[in-house]
Amino acid sequence: MEYTVGNIAPIFLAPVIAFVINAFFGRKLPRQGDWLATLSIFISFIFSARIFGDFVFGTFATDHFIHKTFTWFDLSHGANIWKVNMGVYIDNMTAIMLLMVSGVAFLIHLFSTWYMDHDEKHGRFFTFLPLFTSAMLGMVMSDNLFALFCFWEVMGFCSYSLIGIYVKKEAAGDASLKAFMTTRIGDVFLLLGIVALWMVLGSVAYVDIYAAIAEGKFAGQTVIGISLATFTALCIFLGAMGKSAQFPLHVWLPDAMMGPTPGSALIHAATMVTAGVWVSLRMYPLMVLGDITWFIAVIGAITAFGAATVAMVQTDIKAVLAYSTLSQLGYMIIGVGVGSYNAAFMHVITHAVFKACLFLSAGSIIHTVHEQEMPKLGGLRKYMPYTHFAMMACTLAIAGIPFFSGFVSKDRILGDALYFGFMSGQNPLLAIVPILGFAGAGLTAFYMFRMMFLTFYGENRMGHHDAHGEDHHGDHHHGHEIHHEHLDARQNVPLLILAIFTLGFWFAGSLTGQGIVKVFGEKTEWFKVLVEAPKVERFVNHPREAWGSTDTRVKTELTKARYDHQTGYAGPNPDEHKIHTAHVIGAIASIIIAALGVLIAFLMYIKKSIKPLATRFPGYTEVLRNKYYFDNFYIDVLIKKGLLGFNRFLSWFDMGIFDRYAVDGAAAVNRVLFKASKWFDNVVVDAVGVDGTGVAVNLFNLVLRIIQSGKIQFYFVMLVVVLASYIWTVNI
Amino acid sequence: MMGLASYLIISLILFVVGLVIILSRKNIVAILLGIELVLNAAALNFVAYSRYVTNNLDGHVFSLFIIAIAAAESAIGLAIVIRFFQIKETIHIDEATQLRN
Repeated sequence: MEYTVGNIAPIFLAPVIAFVINAFFGRKLPRQGDWLATLSIFISFIFSARIFGDFVFGTFATDHFIHKTFTWFDLSHGANIWKVNMGVYIDNMTAIMLLMVSGVAFLIHLFSTWYMDHDEKHGRFFTFLPLFTSAMLGMVMSDNLFALFCFWEVMGFCSYSLIGIYVKKEAAGDASLKAFMTTRIGDVFLLLGIVALWMVLGSVAYVDIYAAIAEGKFAGQTVIGISLATFTALCIFLGAMGKSAQFPLHVWLPDAMMGPTPGSALIHAATMVTAGVWVSLRMYPLMVLGDITWFIAVIGAITAFGAATVAMVQTDIKAVLAYSTLSQLGYMIIGVGVGSYNAAFMHVITHAVFKACLFLSAGSIIHTVHEQEMPKLGGLRKYMPYTHFAMMACTLAIAGIPFFSGFVSKDRILGDALYFGFMSGQNPLLAIVPILGFAGAGLTAFYMFRMMFLTFYGENRMGHHDAHGEDHHGDHHHGHEIHHEHLDARQNVPLLILAIFTLGFWFAGSLTGQGIVKVFGEKTEWFKVLVEAPKVERFVNHPREAWGSTDTRVKTELTKARYDHQTGYAGPNPDEHKIHTAHVIGAIASIIIAALGVLIAFLMYIKKSIKPLATRFPGYTEVLRNKYYFDNFYIDVLIKKGLLGFNRFLSWFDMGIFDRYAVDGAAAVNRVLFKASKWFDNVVVDAVGVDGTGVAVNLFNLVLRIIQSGKIQFYFVMLVVVLASYIWTVNI
Repeated sequence: MMGLASYLIISLILFVVGLVIILSRKNIVAILLGIELVLNAAALNFVAYSRYVTNNLDGHVFSLFIIAIAAAESAIGLAIVIRFFQIKETIHIDEATQLRN
């Protein structure tokens, strides 16, 4: 198989072209160009599938990668090399990610054509959706951090536009601003990290960074007193925290559900939030070198557990899903932190599939019954069997029930976390990571089944409004029967396709994910074989391919895992036996915990034999309803007290110091200077310079007029006199 | 005894007479004649030095050039005098103070 620019670039360019056409001519196209956007993503999907097939089914060696570069601009002069290269870098991870992003985005587009039908923002939605997808695809393919940053920012802008697409809703506008500003805090750090790397290495291409790590170029380098590796790793991880909504910067993600539900699906599943995990995985060798993995693990654990607790009391179906996204992102970050590279990336993929499906299912419900408050739903199982089926599959997956994908990936992360926390000889305080991780897993099972039970089971509460319940949607469904769902190609088929891929064996090769019941035999543990932390030594002096070159490789068989760990633990001090033990314990524990969560949800919401949380712990529920007061803290304390106070100080400084002393003082000094220069102008320039010149010329004229008589004999006399005096002088 | 000195004395006399004519006469034609005398004094000097000092033909060649240039110069000078007379109807040197009429 040959790889040229011609069959890599369309993955990125097709959605960009769709964006440009829809942006300028979308209104003139039939259906405002939604078919064009969907088609463009499908083209991306075809090309991605080809790359995926080649990489996964063994046309390429397992450690192969395509790296094509071109010089974007060249400001070198003489011995100073100052070149900026751009290029594509496609390895196994990229191939998997490309297929996931384009596939999930295609199904979301397809669903959106149904969901956004007859919506006033239909055209605008289908303008930003392909741009969003293309930015994610471009980010995944780019070979350096700078290109990654550019696409990162395009995604930030697209999420801003999609969240605030209903421009007349004030809450939507606020939410979009919040998302943009919060992620911007992380982005500043990311840029800082990139600049620091550039300053020292002269390049921010992944391969150059890996090679620099292998060659030990980071040794002894410091930035503002801390080691360069720690500084850059921390900055890049802070950027990832902003984008992947980790603990202190998580506040934007729950509000991001203000946009249309398919847009949320795209933000929460395939694109945007996985970007942070992606950059953490790409820069994993740097994180290890900088020794901040424990910090990453702790941040992930706090997010995973905290978000799960908040999700327990949310009543909005999309809010539950939003907090579950936060929680699952926490697990991915735990995976990065505890060295579970393979499983963290697998969780990105499995989560993208089931979270996209969950959001689309929620969209299906909201669009059908025009209600998203769970206490007003219930009993929808009878009316929406297909949606119920898809959502149930995804709920089982996210809750970590065996045979489903979430179990496979989350369990591996938790097993590695267990090893990391208790057995690897780290600081004993880090045991908090597996503890919070397992607790969050139980809560996940609980709140997801709570959502399922409240939405699909029990009796239908539609039309029965509580005391202060106002009907926001007019009375067209007030007391009406809900229409039964029929299998619709655009409404249900995307959900069902995604639901199929929530099964664990697609990713792990075996039904349980532990290699116990193998489905396709030896070769099927493709994920474990193909994805591993970058081995930095391979990148020293690695040749580059030119942009226009053709990439040809002979077919090689996929060999048995070069990667023989049972688990994929890539952190410090791996110990095979202990890791295996940790995984067995972890698997059993997580099954028990998940089952317990489901059981409690069942008793609470179906049997109603346990009082719900709200009546049992009213104080704590209130705290959770207010999301641990993070929004209040940011607004009331940080912004109103801190930022506003600082602003007032600055304004006092400006008015009191600058205006009074600098500006007024400058005016007084200027006035004096003006007087001096006026005197100088009048006396020196005018009187002496200008008039003096005239007088001098006049005087000179008087003399010249006498000499210049025009009488030639007089001139001749002068000539003779001068010559004679000259000769006389010389002789003396 | 006809030595170098007697040639130089004759030449000096010619030069001074020519110079006095140039400075004192008001007639333009007379001034032109004075210039001729000065040039001839120079030519005589060249020939005399050539004969008594360097003893080659350089001075003779120079004096031939001087004679040729003097002829051309007096031709131009006389032409100017004629034009001047046509305009001013005089050849008094003090009338010729303007470069335009």
